[in-house]
Amino acid sequence: MDVVAVDISGRHSVGGRYIMVSASVAAKISPEGIERTKRIRLVPRVAESVEMEVVIGLIEDSVRGLSGVVLAEKGDLYNLERWRVESILGREFKYPESRGERRAMELAHHASFAGRKLVLRLMEEGLGGGSLKAGGA
Amino acid sequence: MKREKAAVLLFREDPRDEPHPEKMIELRGLAEAAGYRVLAEISQRRGRDRRFQLGRGKIAEAASFSPEKLIFNEPLSPGQIFNITKEFEVQAIDRFNLILEIFASRASTREAKLQVELARLSYEAPFVRTIESLKKLSERPGYRGSGSYDVSMYRDIKGRMAKIRAELKSVEETGERRRERRRELGFDLVALAGYTNAGKSTLFNRLAEECVTAKDQPFTTLSPTTRAVAAKDRRFLLTDTVGFIDDLPLFLIKAFRSTLAEIVEADLVLLVVDLSDPPEVLREKLASCHQTLWDCSCYAPIVSVLNKVDRISPEDAQERCEMIRDLAPSPVFISAREGHGLADLLDMIDEKLPALEEFKVLLPSSEEGMGQLSRLYEVAEPIEVKYGKEIEVLLRGRREIVARALKGAERPERSPLAKG
Repeated sequence: MDVVAVDISGRHSVGGRYIMVSASVAAKISPEGIERTKRIRLVPRVAESVEMEVVIGLIEDSVRGLSGVVLAEKGDLYNLERWRVESILGREFKYPESRGERRAMELAHHASFAGRKLVLRLMEEGLGGGSLKAGGA
Repeated sequence: MKREKAAVLLFREDPRDEPHPEKMIELRGLAEAAGYRVLAEISQRRGRDRRFQLGRGKIAEAASFSPEKLIFNEPLSPGQIFNITKEFEVQAIDRFNLILEIFASRASTREAKLQVELARLSYEAPFVRTIESLKKLSERPGYRGSGSYDVSMYRDIKGRMAKIRAELKSVEETGERRRERRRELGFDLVALAGYTNAGKSTLFNRLAEECVTAKDQPFTTLSPTTRAVAAKDRRFLLTDTVGFIDDLPLFLIKAFRSTLAEIVEADLVLLVVDLSDPPEVLREKLASCHQTLWDCSCYAPIVSVLNKVDRISPEDAQERCEMIRDLAPSPVFISAREGHGLADLLDMIDEKLPALEEFKVLLPSSEEGMGQLSRLYEVAEPIEVKYGKEIEVLLRGRREIVARALKGAERPERSPLAKG
């Protein structure tokens, strides 16, 4: 099964804004684990809030062009029902169930966490702040 | 004569969720397994009540049956238990507590008893702390009243938990050494896992030709049982383990770590599924098994054993198998009760276990060489032995095990006939 696991790191306020990095991992998985990782994409975003529209917008940007069922943790989407997320995203979506899906989520989590650390370092050094897209309300 | 306990079951449905009548059935099954006579089932579709979990009227209705206990499907906070007990003068427990009661009544080995006690203490510790602080609200200092007595109760629980953990650690280490020894002897380890009451013990009895207790009730098995099974041309050790259940709290998984280690350390996991369950229940149960396997860091390959096919039509079985394709790797249809599909299952086990390789080993024609040959007989399957200036042995086994048996001797060579 082809999946795109998405995880957002940095959903907490730092100086009144949210410095987030969304990682999406496009992979071919089996119920037992990951068979092949096709692509990993990192999308950084600075926002004024983490309201639903901001989160969905970030996920949309993150999974654009990657084929497969979108996977995300329940907490990342405020525990919305699956059908509601599907109708907002406009593509097939599910919360992770099998061991393979959880493994893909774990990979996305590590990628987003590492990506955010890198972004923070670049911002500290004054190298990458300008390229971050400001979004949200 | 043992007096039958009476209870009323209470179930709260979230207004945003689909109705789940099967959850009430599961709760009833658990209550009956714990020895309760169910007086009534009361459900309410509403958001969580901060004080009582359900509405006050529903609790009063349940209390009017004069049960010994009110059993809630949803977890109760210490404050809610305190409020219900105080206001309605009836004991209230939740699903986790009910599971602990079943475990406590079934625990027969020292290990199981310790695990149950640890789980109970982990569950109760925060309750004791909250109830102590709630009671203190109306407390006045008495003789040398510094409140030290109350605090010590919580401290005692923590101390006892540390003691049990240390004891369980030594049990765990013994288990680890035992598994290591079994591997050294050339056995592959296969563990049965799955939702409670899926038919694991019945399948175990079939495969191992044993007669462990197998009943149509949740949590019949608590302590693992291991037996040798011969399948085709190889042998493995099959372990029957405790069943999983939905929303198994992490403290319970931690308490049963030494039992679950049998699954974590296995070379292959047979994930037993009750295929006669309604499709949506089947999916939920499988997802919850995957969750538990993930929580206890089990990464072994899985064979999905779709049990109880004798209870549904072949078309239904095929349809359900298709529906759970993303959760059930390497599926095999069986009926453990009737003995159908066991040959297919053994074939699948043979296929999924680490491959056996063929080796040609040259041993010196001496006393030492004969000793090594004798060790090889124990851990691998000799195909041909030629005695000459040297002893030439053609054998089949797992590389690391053959290498370990030949410690200090010539490294085994892969035979030109070797497969895999």
